[in-house]
Amino acid sequence: MSDATATTRFRSATEETPLTRWLLVGLGAAGMALLVFAPLIAVFAEALADGWLAAVESLGNRDARSAIQLTLTIAAISVPLNAAFGIAAAWFITKFDFRGKAFLITLIDLPFSVSPVVAGLCIVLMFGTNSLVGGWLVANGYPIVFALPGIVLATMFVTFPFVARELIPVMIEQGRAEEEAALTLGASGWRTFWTVTLPNIRWALLYGVLLCNARAMGEFGAVAVVSGKIRGQTATMPITIEMLYNEYLSVAAFSMAAVLTVLALVTLLLKTALELRHADQLAATHRH
Amino acid sequence: MGRPLIHRSPMPGLGLSMGITLTMLSIVVLLPIGALLLKGATFGLGNMWDVVNSERTWAALFLSFRLSLFAALFNLVFGVMLAWVLVRYRFPGRRLLDAAVDLPFALPTAVAGIALTALYAPNGAFGQLAAEIGWRIAYTQYGIFLALVFVGLPFVTRTVQPVIEEIEREVEEASATLGASRAYTIRRVILPMLTPAALTGFALSLARAVGEYGSVIFIAGNIPLVTEIAPLLIVIQLEEFDYDSAAAIGIAMLVISFAMLLAINLIQVWSRRRIGYV
Repeated sequence: MSDATATTRFRSATEETPLTRWLLVGLGAAGMALLVFAPLIAVFAEALADGWLAAVESLGNRDARSAIQLTLTIAAISVPLNAAFGIAAAWFITKFDFRGKAFLITLIDLPFSVSPVVAGLCIVLMFGTNSLVGGWLVANGYPIVFALPGIVLATMFVTFPFVARELIPVMIEQGRAEEEAALTLGASGWRTFWTVTLPNIRWALLYGVLLCNARAMGEFGAVAVVSGKIRGQTATMPITIEMLYNEYLSVAAFSMAAVLTVLALVTLLLKTALELRHADQLAATHRH
Repeated sequence: MGRPLIHRSPMPGLGLSMGITLTMLSIVVLLPIGALLLKGATFGLGNMWDVVNSERTWAALFLSFRLSLFAALFNLVFGVMLAWVLVRYRFPGRRLLDAAVDLPFALPTAVAGIALTALYAPNGAFGQLAAEIGWRIAYTQYGIFLALVFVGLPFVTRTVQPVIEEIEREVEEASATLGASRAYTIRRVILPMLTPAALTGFALSLARAVGEYGSVIFIAGNIPLVTEIAPLLIVIQLEEFDYDSAAAIGIAMLVISFAMLLAINLIQVWSRRRIGYV
């Protein structure tokens, strides 16, 4: 930036006029206010419409507690599994040379271009009672669809690429030299992974897990299709929000929404902190 | 030819990492998508066409893709502008604005849906203002557009931002010393450099909007033929246990989305070739 006097009297040739600048800033801020900040405030305003007590009370009943518990359970299962997948996939893709690598990456990215509802539909068709696999599993007492495993699978489908996408560019950039050195010095494969690779990718891994977790706890479309929406059993927090909202229980719906909003804000805060402190070790900050 | 499928490598863990990757990819993504395609195949192309060719399905598909395109176009323009503002200008609250761009990624779609509805419904804060000039937003196609803009908001900004950061000032200075006005420099020097990244963001935003369900159904009103989106139609068929019709619409959506993404990819290749990598 040039100093203030230069911008007022002699505008640099690579800057817009002050009027243009303030117009653009104003437009950007106004758009963000209408689209992002206002809805954010609306969630809390609606939740607290009848006061703190009503909001807190609505979260205390049995169905609300079971929804919170279910959402936490789903995230606790699907996020570590996707993190394990992301690490394995990134290792496979960046440490070895094989044919069809670009195709494999495309397949891993596939869930991003599939509608969550279609993702749920795929899970239903694969594991539903009427399908070959699902029918067999149900006959043996392991229902997938309209039960926890189905919700976990649907959640994993929509969050599938998150960790892998974050790790692959970072691990490509870091190359293989450090691992090769460790191996030459006699370290075992696992020891190399734990003491060389993991410390190098920990912030990128955390970043991917953070985004994966936010999406896992908030997923609606895919879960709506496979959950069956059984109150107290297969209704996650987002599904409960929908049910309460459709029953005109506005305070209860927005109180539950406020809990998820706080989670989203914490996620953003941690994400921003990671980007500020460890920008050099993240893919997102220098991705095209 | 003669290139081995997998090159020999001293790195450990080939079997394990390949095993985990391919097994999980198959169970979670590939087999379920295969099940959808298999369902379509057994239902038959003719039958699928009959489902898609109904007035209601056409209306839903056309609505979904048309509004997604409009929303992605809006996000393209607004996103590039916002990225420019965030990188080039210094003003109070810039950090906050920058962090807030990612909120649509982090906020669950159902929460966004009810929050937007509460604001833009006829009795909501902004809905009342709009109603005074006779404009209904929620429960019309404007409401759907709004929700789709929200979910696609971060993509363009986040893909374009790093490119703007890397633009060398010297290029702009060169353009200025050669007598170009600022507007001409932006149009002929800066915007072409941003085009490939902006198109990537546009494609991501479009793909996200086409499949979006959670934020839309609350604000849409869901009136058949008017404000009923394609994903909702799938949910309705599933609730009636009509798996064949659901699969038909699902496959139609997949085919149209992939065709659109392919078209955007081709435009991108063309623009890269014309402008070169930046």
